[in-house]
Amino acid sequence: MSGDDLIEGLLGIAPGSPLAALRLRRPEARTHAQGAYRELLMPADPGALSHADRAALALRTALREGDTALAAHYRGLLAAGGEEAIMLAEDLSGAPMEGRLAALLRYADLVAARPAEVTQGVIDALSALGLTARDIVAVTQLVAFVPYQVRLMAGLRAMQGESAA
Amino acid sequence: MSRFTMEEVGWVPRVPPVEAETATPAQLAALEACPPAQRRSTYFLTLANDAASLGERGALFNAVMYAPRGLPRADREFSTAVVSMANGCVYCTSVHARRFAELSKQPEAMRRVLEEGPAAETDPRRRAIADLSEKLTLTPGAVTAADLAPLRALGMEDLEVLDLLHSVAMFANANRLMQALGESEMPAG
Repeated sequence: MSGDDLIEGLLGIAPGSPLAALRLRRPEARTHAQGAYRELLMPADPGALSHADRAALALRTALREGDTALAAHYRGLLAAGGEEAIMLAEDLSGAPMEGRLAALLRYADLVAARPAEVTQGVIDALSALGLTARDIVAVTQLVAFVPYQVRLMAGLRAMQGESAA
Repeated sequence: MSRFTMEEVGWVPRVPPVEAETATPAQLAALEACPPAQRRSTYFLTLANDAASLGERGALFNAVMYAPRGLPRADREFSTAVVSMANGCVYCTSVHARRFAELSKQPEAMRRVLEEGPAAETDPRRRAIADLSEKLTLTPGAVTAADLAPLRALGMEDLEVLDLLHSVAMFANANRLMQALGESEMPAG
């Protein structure tokens, strides 16, 4: 079963292992976390946010949140989007960045790290880039979902550490 | 005086919510996956702008907060109130502090945590839940098996620990969504 589950794949939770069995006791949480990942990163109808845009936003958020395994996964998804997008997404130096993707990445930084600082002006600036209400909700859902993955993975790693002890 | 409260806090969206009368079939189906008491709230109608993500995320939220057995619901609500405080989400804190108070019949305990912070919690089980919730929220990369030991010492079994991880993770998500997509409005007075 772990072949169809991103988190189990990244953590090396083998099918039939105690942690895999435990996760199957909450089948809906497992299925819908995977479903949210699919609909946020690879939706059939992506609107104004291409799959590459989405992978770039997820990569940056995973890096900001400090999960290198998750970041490496999103870097792989972004590979098709080109080297330039990867460099932009991974530049956490605070150096000025220009263009549409840079503006999206700056929004991701706010939502991930300082969501209380989002204002109506920040949202209106996304509209000015051509994002619809649906696109704005989608980008916010995406950037807010990566922190879910990061904390679930961190907690499951701690449980893996328990059984290793 | 703490900025956190158990009073009803308002929430004003920054993007127009979907209107139930003009919602598409896909939007209505996504709302059906969300917790019944909340699926017509302004917040969920705002999320319904993107039906694909709401359907999965709403179902995930439902499973995390309401799945039977495992971690008692009052503990899940307590944990999510603590996470919401750590993330500075006044709206989410008020909702889940209220639910904890209703389920546990211990509003005074919640009020003390809201006023003085989770370190003021004296109940050993809730204190252990609060400690793990705060650490996993603020420094996920630093959490190790040793951080689960206090919960294990209190007899918490695997399913309860998993439910706690899910609750904490869910509010890393919910607090960011809520704060980014709208503004909380404090009660008058």
